[in-house]
Amino acid sequence: MPSKTLPDRVIEGYLFDDVKVLNTQIPRERKTLEKLLGEDNPHVVCMDGTPHHFRKRELEVLSQITTDDERHTLLLPILMEVTSDRADIIIRTRSGTEAKIFSAVLDMPVTCKDNKITIFRPQLSVVRKKLKTTTQYVFFT
Amino acid sequence: MAAKVEVTRPTKMELARLKRRHKLATRIQKIVKDRLSILIMEFLQTVKECAAVKERLLSEFQEAFKALSIASGYHGTVPLEKELLTAEMAIRVTSGMRNVAGVRMPLFEIEQAEPVRSVVKDPAETSSVLDHSTELSRKCLETIIELAELENSLELLGREINKVKRVNNALEYIVIPGLDVTIKYLTMKFEERDREEVSRLKYVKLLIEKKEAYAF
Repeated sequence: MPSKTLPDRVIEGYLFDDVKVLNTQIPRERKTLEKLLGEDNPHVVCMDGTPHHFRKRELEVLSQITTDDERHTLLLPILMEVTSDRADIIIRTRSGTEAKIFSAVLDMPVTCKDNKITIFRPQLSVVRKKLKTTTQYVFFT
Repeated sequence: MAAKVEVTRPTKMELARLKRRHKLATRIQKIVKDRLSILIMEFLQTVKECAAVKERLLSEFQEAFKALSIASGYHGTVPLEKELLTAEMAIRVTSGMRNVAGVRMPLFEIEQAEPVRSVVKDPAETSSVLDHSTELSRKCLETIIELAELENSLELLGREINKVKRVNNALEYIVIPGLDVTIKYLTMKFEERDREEVSRLKYVKLLIEKKEAYAF
């Protein structure tokens, strides 16, 4: 019997006023890595109603980095918050699994503090090269 | 270009409305600028990938044609053509869409293709040279599909960057300066009105005092 999943507070934090209107690319509901690996056509539906498909190869790479438990908690796509006043990118996490993934992708230690991971803009291109479909931008002020 | 003052009603409510609009426009302009920088980053990355894949495709084509020439020399043109006509290969391409900062781009994923099967039963008419040639051709096909995705993405990103750049420039150089100038104009007008009111009241007070003095 599947366990009840916790609500996705990260997405809820982006669904208000003009942030919601200007970020139609964020998904209505994120899915766990475990669920996406089992799908024949892994995808999520965005706020504008369009589908966003995941590359199976990327999902396999993520499954190799994570443990069984982490696959049940890791929600995809990973949302990267881009703020104009800051030079860094924030990734809000609830389990810290994203820090492990980013450490593996960037090949350097990445820490999680107060459920937030910080990476810098030059590192963004490295992350996006390897995780094109499993990461998504959120524009915030 | 100097910003134009656009005032419909010089009232305090209008000033409050314009200040709210200015705040919203500034906020949106920051987000649009961020989006533009992200799109440009993605565009440049796609350009690099595209160039690398094109180079790889060219070298793969060269290898494939070389192998085909060798196979043609080994088997002869007619048996080779017969073998190529009868060979089968199942290749499964899954297509989808991915969303990058609001730009919808195609996604092609090639499933593991089965090896080429030849319906020709005579083993004398096939060889490892031919198998090698077909394997290289299969790789070329996979690279072509990958390149198709990248080139399409490049075009879509380019179009979106043009659109977003125009919106950003309109906000930064026309809308926000226009609002700034109008807010400044209205603020100065209200200050002037207040000063006139103060001097008018002083004059009225003076008149009342004079009247009272005459009455005594």
